[in-house]
Amino acid sequence: MISMNKHTSVISNLLVVLQILLLFCSFVEPDSFPNWLTLTGRLHPLLLHLPVSLVLLNIPVYFLTVAKNQSENNSPLYQTLLAYTALLATLTAFAGLFLASGGEYDEQLLFKHKWLSIGVAILSHLQLYLFQWIGNNRKIWTAITSSTAILMIAGSHYGGTLTHGEDFLTFSVEEKQMSQFPPISDKSTVFDAAVAPIIATKCSSCHNASKQKGGLNMTDFNNMFKGGKTGALFVAGNPNKSLLIERILLAMDDKKHMPPKGKAQLTPDEMMLFTKWIEKGGSNTSLYHSLEENDSLKIITDKVRVIERITESIKTYSFKAASPDVIESLNSPFRRILPISANSPALSVKFFLKEKFNMKMLEECNSIKQQVVEINLSGMPVDDQVIPLLTQFENLEKLNLNSTQVTGKNLKEMIKLKHLNQLSLTGTAVDATFLNELTASNIKTVYLWNTKIKEQDLVVLKKSLPNVKWDLGYIPDKNEMLKLTPPKPTNTDQMIIGRNEAITLKHPLPGVTIKYTLDGSIPDSINGTVYTSPILSTQITRIIAIATRDGWISSTTSDYTFFQQGIKVDSIHLIHQPNEKYKKNGKTTLTDLKKGFPEILNLNWLGYKEQTFKTGFYFTDETMKTTVVLSAADNTGAYVFPPTKITVWGGDQPKNLKKIGSVQPAMPTAYRSNGVLPYLVPIEKGKYKYIEIEAQNILSLPSWHGGKGEKGWVFVDEVFFY
Amino acid sequence: MDNQEKLFRLNVTRRHFLTKAGLGIGSAALGTMLFKDQLFGTSEASNIPLGVAQFAPKAKRIIYLFQNGAPSQLETFDYKPLLNKMHGEELPASIRKGQRLTGMTSNQESFPLVGSTFGFAQHGQSGAWVSELFPHMASIVDEMCIVKSMHTEAINHDPALTFFQTGAQQGNRPSMGAWMSYGLGSENANLPAFTVLLSRGRGNGQGVYSKLWTNGFLDSVHQGVVFSSGEDPVLYLKNPEGHDKESRRAMLDELAQFNSAAFENFGDPEINTRIQQYEMSYRMQSAVPELTDLSKESDNTIKLYGPDCLVPGTYAANCLLARKLSESGVRFVQLYHQGWDTHGNLASDMRMQAEDVDRASAGLIKDLKQRGLLDETLVIWGGEFGRTNYCQGKIDTENYGRDHHPKCFSIWMAGGGIKPGTVYGETDEFGYNITKDPVSVNDFHATVLHLMGINHEQLTYKHLGRRYRLTDVAGNLVKGIIS
Repeated sequence: MISMNKHTSVISNLLVVLQILLLFCSFVEPDSFPNWLTLTGRLHPLLLHLPVSLVLLNIPVYFLTVAKNQSENNSPLYQTLLAYTALLATLTAFAGLFLASGGEYDEQLLFKHKWLSIGVAILSHLQLYLFQWIGNNRKIWTAITSSTAILMIAGSHYGGTLTHGEDFLTFSVEEKQMSQFPPISDKSTVFDAAVAPIIATKCSSCHNASKQKGGLNMTDFNNMFKGGKTGALFVAGNPNKSLLIERILLAMDDKKHMPPKGKAQLTPDEMMLFTKWIEKGGSNTSLYHSLEENDSLKIITDKVRVIERITESIKTYSFKAASPDVIESLNSPFRRILPISANSPALSVKFFLKEKFNMKMLEECNSIKQQVVEINLSGMPVDDQVIPLLTQFENLEKLNLNSTQVTGKNLKEMIKLKHLNQLSLTGTAVDATFLNELTASNIKTVYLWNTKIKEQDLVVLKKSLPNVKWDLGYIPDKNEMLKLTPPKPTNTDQMIIGRNEAITLKHPLPGVTIKYTLDGSIPDSINGTVYTSPILSTQITRIIAIATRDGWISSTTSDYTFFQQGIKVDSIHLIHQPNEKYKKNGKTTLTDLKKGFPEILNLNWLGYKEQTFKTGFYFTDETMKTTVVLSAADNTGAYVFPPTKITVWGGDQPKNLKKIGSVQPAMPTAYRSNGVLPYLVPIEKGKYKYIEIEAQNILSLPSWHGGKGEKGWVFVDEVFFY
Repeated sequence: MDNQEKLFRLNVTRRHFLTKAGLGIGSAALGTMLFKDQLFGTSEASNIPLGVAQFAPKAKRIIYLFQNGAPSQLETFDYKPLLNKMHGEELPASIRKGQRLTGMTSNQESFPLVGSTFGFAQHGQSGAWVSELFPHMASIVDEMCIVKSMHTEAINHDPALTFFQTGAQQGNRPSMGAWMSYGLGSENANLPAFTVLLSRGRGNGQGVYSKLWTNGFLDSVHQGVVFSSGEDPVLYLKNPEGHDKESRRAMLDELAQFNSAAFENFGDPEINTRIQQYEMSYRMQSAVPELTDLSKESDNTIKLYGPDCLVPGTYAANCLLARKLSESGVRFVQLYHQGWDTHGNLASDMRMQAEDVDRASAGLIKDLKQRGLLDETLVIWGGEFGRTNYCQGKIDTENYGRDHHPKCFSIWMAGGGIKPGTVYGETDEFGYNITKDPVSVNDFHATVLHLMGINHEQLTYKHLGRRYRLTDVAGNLVKGIIS
């Protein structure tokens, strides 16, 4: 036996008394404690930290004193420490008993906490005795020290759970502060939609089943309705007499203000919501959707919920996130797996490029089958065999099978997908009888545009599946006639074509008949040739064409003039220079085979106003020439008129010329649509090596024109010789 | 060169080194856990995870039908019968409140009010007023949210357009689509995340410039890619004559080897970007023809968008292509339709413009809806500002003109996350000032980003020493239009 100093022995004796009393008190009904004792219970949160640290402190102290000096087993320091550990553990246990007599705690949790903690007190006292009686025995020491520590840790865990709630350890602080508003459905009550989520965030951490401050549990409506010690929480219809509102509205410094100072407070909107909710009956049965649009309760509910949106809630799923490595290994340019949002475990899978697709790519997604909530196979070469593969994605919500070869034969298997609510089948060969088999599913919307399903099929479907919305999409109005677009030649880029090149007309809409004329007349139901094969070109080919089709309004006419490439010019001499602003590429402009647009006059054009267009053309070969074609712009609004007169001279050189042809084009008599017009001048047949052309611009604009009396322009983009 | 190479080999700068190693691994680890931002500052990248929505998005993709030139709110959605009553009377000074004028009407002696020559009627469950010019859009008002209280800072086309597209008037910032590409990444790695489609109506037009779809200071992969209206929507995508797919593949493989070697040697991350761009272009050779092939469209589709949809380069064709691109996972499809600048000749110009866009705009919404895509696609329709309630030039009951008006105009949105069948905001009886719920361009941007699952205050990029956002230092969420 090791001698005990006086101090330690006094404490030890006192402990015997206290611990017997402690055991006695633990069996006593909590209510029988006098009031003043329960007050001392408030010291429990302060005291409890001391034995916790001391129990742990025993270990290093043992090693530093007792274990180090084997010879001297008598260690006053270690003994004193053991004594105080036991004393404080006992006092803490007392305080705890008194605090618990308040009766606001979950009984099961309290039971565990109480007996584990009493165990700590007794064990630590036992430790002191054993040390005194037996001395330093390492085996005994290890056994008793470790069991004390284990009891202490377990006991304090339950204590912590009592105070801070069960999810204190596992949830992060941020998540706790965010209200999670459930999505609104037809059956949502105002209580569930807005009131309960706010209570869950800001009230029930202190008012729940395990910790009922003031005897109040706010975790569900029935308990809330019961109220707490102070009485009913609210008086339906009368917020002014409701305790809930009263406590909320008390000044922050008031001890009875709720939520207590220092905890997350209600926002003004949330207070208003509580007030309005109580005012309008404070029930858990009134449906959100039954509220009028201008009902103040609806307005404030919406407001509170919208504010929630800004705090960016995430739809919660019960499944765990897939590992990023797995997602990464499945991702490719042809199979994209993306999380719905950061921090969300839910995934969407989308396939791209049909030529790269194979069934295996879907099978491989097996490893994330829990997490996938959206699959998009639109346009992929999949048929009915895909359905059994898809049913493994147990949490699938949205499935897009648009433009696939699915016929719906085994669509029935989709019933397995309990969460599936949207199914897109547009552009497939799906059959109504197969859709009928979806009865037991939870699908809300099925998209069926561009399938053979018709209105009359829906009548049957709506009967057997009344909760599904069947979307047939756009159905054209049979009486509405649309106007076709005019046909177009394929080679419209330059309007200049090779010698033996044919002109192809086309129309983008299948089934259209194209009619055309080559003589400048307007094609219609009687007039014109039906286009069947490419049209052979002449020097100047003017094609006026129209598109017709049953059930459509015929198009407006399209009018294209093609120029055939002519005899090659060797060089050009501009006798009169064009206007400074409109001389684009100089003389090469005239033979570069690039046509201009009548609106864009600074491109591909030579423009003349101050003087006439007068230009000489040299030829190396002595081909017979019969025709000159001048291509000129027609844009009356921009003062661009046809030349009033075109004169052509020819010879073997500039000094030896004779006039070989001339024309006087007709002048416009009113503003007309813009165009590029060919002016054909027949010339005396000859092998001229040099030809000179003069085109006179209009000197005085006619009286109907806004610039009457002023000079007009001549714009030439190309000259052809045949 | 030598020096540069060394630098690249290290691939660290002094700053990198000091930030990353200065405090030692242990304290750095602790620091990252405790106060990441305070210790190191955020890098040039955003402070939210990139390539994924920050929170559950309402919309995954955007199709923006930009009506370039600014369609008049008074002939579209903002019905003001008072203007017809007071036709020809002077605009009261109490309404104008000294608002600035453009150079085009500042010399005008009088400002006679002019009422719409087009009739208005209420449509749908929502009872929204729509002009007779838009019978098809009127048929889908219950899908739309019409915002009548948009306002902007700019009074001329270019700054206003640039403001709308990039969040700033000056034109050196990334475009909306580039921000989306940066923040959300691409859904389909075989196509650019941000594409641009251009069309031109018959009305008075205003130009569009590539600065409107610029990546600004963001990486160039976020730049908008223009699909041209010709036979080849993406230029130089086809293999040159005489080269087949296999030889192209072999060439790219060989090239990638060279590039990889260069990367190992030099360490410039741009080299890797380049390799990936080559690969994407290769895949685009398959992806683009799949999209642009209109020959398999059903008659119903053609009737839905109108027969113009088969003529490349028209607004209708672009709407149809936009649907196909969006369906294939392109995050942001930006359309521009020019020709809305109705300074004069408004009556006939508006009619022609409306003919071009009405059926196809409505068709796009219906098409997305019937495919089950409308709930995940946000469609926006609108111009860069509004038009004055007074006449520019000669006033005539048949014909008139309207000048630029930044103080109020109407746009509409539909689809992902938008509260359908609503009209948001109000203007005064003169259609001149906003009287309720004003929405600025920054607010609009903040809301669009929100619908895409991004907090506009957190999608940032550090450039020239400070962090930039699409909304820069402004922008409030417009909660009233969110479903």
